Amino acid sequence: MANPAEPQQKKSNSDSKAWEILCSVRLAVIIIIIMAVACILGTVILQIKSPEEYVSRYGPGLAKFYAAIQFTDIFHSYWFSFLLILLCVNLGCCTVKRWRNKVLMIGFLVTHISIILILIGCVVDLLTGVKGGVNVYEGSSVDYYLTRADYKKVPLGFQVFCDDFIIEKHPPKYKLITYVKDKDKQKAVSLAVGKKISIPGTNYAATVKELIEDAEVQHEPINVSDEPKNPALYIQLSAKDKVTAEGWLLAKDRNWYNDTQRDLKIDYVWADTDEAHERLTNAAAKSSTKPTLEIRIEGTDIVKNVPVEKGQKISIKGTDYTVEVKDFALDYSKRLVALSEQEPNNPAVMVEISGPQGVDSRWSFSKYPDYQDKAHKTIYKDVKLLCTVPEDFSDAKNRVRIVQSRSGKQTITYIKGGKVISTNDWVLGQGYDISDSGLKIRIQKYFPSHSLKKTVVKRTGGHEGHNHGPGEHHGNPAALIEMEGPRGKYAEWVFAHTPPHWYPDNNFAVLYEKSGMEVKDYKSILRVVENGKTMMTKTIEVNSPLKYKGFVFYQSSYDPEGERYTGLQVTKNPGLLVVYSGFILLCLGIVFIFYVKPFLRRKFQKGKKIKEIYSEEEMLAEHIDE
Amino acid sequence: MLDLTLYVYTAAIVAYIVREIWRAKTMRWVAFGLFAGGFILNTIVVLNRWAEANHAPMSDKYESFVFFGWSIALVYLIFELVTIFIVKVHESRLGIIGALQGVLAAWMICSALGIDNTIKELPPALQSKWLVTHVICYFLSYSALSMSFSAAIVHLVRKAFVSDKPKEAAAAGTVVQKKKDYSFDKLAYIAVSIGFPFLTIGLITGSIWAKGAWGTYWGWDPKEIWSLISWLVYLTYMHLPLMLPKTNIKKSFRPILLSIILLIAFPIVLFTFMGLHKLPSSVDSDHIYAE
Repeated sequence: MANPAEPQQKKSNSDSKAWEILCSVRLAVIIIIIMAVACILGTVILQIKSPEEYVSRYGPGLAKFYAAIQFTDIFHSYWFSFLLILLCVNLGCCTVKRWRNKVLMIGFLVTHISIILILIGCVVDLLTGVKGGVNVYEGSSVDYYLTRADYKKVPLGFQVFCDDFIIEKHPPKYKLITYVKDKDKQKAVSLAVGKKISIPGTNYAATVKELIEDAEVQHEPINVSDEPKNPALYIQLSAKDKVTAEGWLLAKDRNWYNDTQRDLKIDYVWADTDEAHERLTNAAAKSSTKPTLEIRIEGTDIVKNVPVEKGQKISIKGTDYTVEVKDFALDYSKRLVALSEQEPNNPAVMVEISGPQGVDSRWSFSKYPDYQDKAHKTIYKDVKLLCTVPEDFSDAKNRVRIVQSRSGKQTITYIKGGKVISTNDWVLGQGYDISDSGLKIRIQKYFPSHSLKKTVVKRTGGHEGHNHGPGEHHGNPAALIEMEGPRGKYAEWVFAHTPPHWYPDNNFAVLYEKSGMEVKDYKSILRVVENGKTMMTKTIEVNSPLKYKGFVFYQSSYDPEGERYTGLQVTKNPGLLVVYSGFILLCLGIVFIFYVKPFLRRKFQKGKKIKEIYSEEEMLAEHIDE
Repeated sequence: MLDLTLYVYTAAIVAYIVREIWRAKTMRWVAFGLFAGGFILNTIVVLNRWAEANHAPMSDKYESFVFFGWSIALVYLIFELVTIFIVKVHESRLGIIGALQGVLAAWMICSALGIDNTIKELPPALQSKWLVTHVICYFLSYSALSMSFSAAIVHLVRKAFVSDKPKEAAAAGTVVQKKKDYSFDKLAYIAVSIGFPFLTIGLITGSIWAKGAWGTYWGWDPKEIWSLISWLVYLTYMHLPLMLPKTNIKKSFRPILLSIILLIAFPIVLFTFMGLHKLPSSVDSDHIYAE
């Protein structure tokens, strides 16, 4: 095995052939190559899976073969361990044999020893270390962990409380997406204000003109014409000089206001002629629209429409049924309070149907006619009920009707219990007492042609009603986008969370979309309690574990469904110090060999011939020609 | 900006090839200048991204490609400056390597152009002080190793097609003799000796980082295994010259064998960098760029 140029060890008699081999670079190279190949196999062949999976993937023969030569868990196999031990021995022997006690060989010594250290440290960790995990529910504690390998419970000797588990998220991001329909081309474009973005391959372009991070649409009422196309009044209701309600009533739209607390209804009607004015004023006395109940008998053509009045009994001709209206509510959930105090949120009528098989009583909901309440048994399935409640239905005793006619006549009528108490002419800005109710009504503004001007503005003020904590409001961004295409320019405010906005030719659309909130950090507030005493508290997060008594707790997972528990990785690495010293030595050694040694050598041995400076081996290793 | 970088790199490739054929001093500077220009543009892209993303631009696939392109250019330019001005290697020894490095850098930029470049927030595991050290070490190392790859290619090609002895001898008579003349296998070795320490440090910092983030310094994750494989291959390259004289392999074949190893080694590195999602075992890994 002699390299002729290398100075022979004179005491080679005692050196057995085995020693030579153990020291040889050849062995090292072979081990390294086998390890590399093993590593490749370890990623190409799936590792540590169930036997069934191997059979289904590689077939029974190959699966058996892999299991036999431990290819299913290469990195924990006997032969791989043997390789590592052999490598250690080889490194040790080689280092001992080649050490020449020269400064320049420090690198060689340090790197080789460091590898041995790292491997020793790994073995120590493998034999005496801990690798496990445990889930801790928020607010509770554990005093054990489960081993990674076989999920065995092992006591910790102390308790770990999880006081809280938090997922921190980055604020949401938004992106602008353009879409060209005929080319089915989608493109995310930058949101830089003022930059015109042409969509390649098309003649469309989009420019973001303005961007508001938290925008809202403000509807500003305006008057567009003096013609009474959409007459509207701005009404103020006050009690003892304090405004209790104010707002617009539109004669041809939402023209009524219910004050359930005061048993009051106000409505505003428009009359084109004076006769109509007269009629409308008086018509207010009787409630114009009433809730009705439609009773239909399935299988026949019997349909009956009756007004809903409590206690009314209707016998259905042609059948044996008698239907009695037992109760009526404008808001089912508030059915126990007076009708006048209910808002028409969920109108429902309760009826009792008497027939040959006894009494069937049920609630019929106006908004959910098909709803069958499961609590009671429906006897007469062929009786279908449909309750219709007009939107402006009110049971209020007090009524105020404001009538205005084209000729300029404007009156305000107060009605109580179906009787007209007073009728007065009104003028803008003047307050009128509503008889003895203690309320005052004032008509502040009159727009003959009411309309709304939409403006998009930055949201101001609080965000009451939103379900989030302070500082967590993320706003509703909007962008003013100018779309340019074959039909010219067309600017529009586009809000996030809304459907795509189409360019007038319906071929080009922009969508302002939220692209999700990315997780910023997972955090668990952990508390270590030993013998009833809190020993330490730490908020752990990824890259920042808690260390206690040799154990290290890492944030590793969490309850994906309800975030109720935190998943901790539990480790104990007694060999860590050895491994890390190996790491440091390896770095230092390698830097020394490749970056320091060449310069040192030049400094030490200037002017000498190459042959005198380098040993034969070094010349080979460093590719130095003679 | 990124496409401009690509064009300049491409121009640099052409310039380096021209420089090989027409060895005028101006051409030398044109080639170097073009590559340096591409590098400056690339630097601007990287810095711009850093400012925009608010984190070191090496977290996702796009950022890695751009950064790798940048580091390839950086390492090559430094190498050319040092070899030509300080070590005074004859420039014929570098020219074609420049072209090959240019190809590699252009390839990286080209790959970056085709993929999603929206800025993503750093996932929790990447929010570590080790990110920058680890990644920079690896990319510097990869860039240096890519140079060894180029040098190995040139070495093998020359061995195969150019009977260079007589030519060199003819030229040697006059000026060339004054300058140090390294063969390409020697250049390859120098490149590896620059890159290998960084490869080692990258591996170790990665391990320390993994300990902090996942609780284990070595978890046999595909990425870990493949970086170990690339390390082992270069380790083999380092140790082989010591062993070869003791074998029957002919002396003239030894540099060729070493070059072949480098030829195998760098694709392994590239695979480690961007090919791991093709492995069956990559499903379980949380270390690989999502496709």
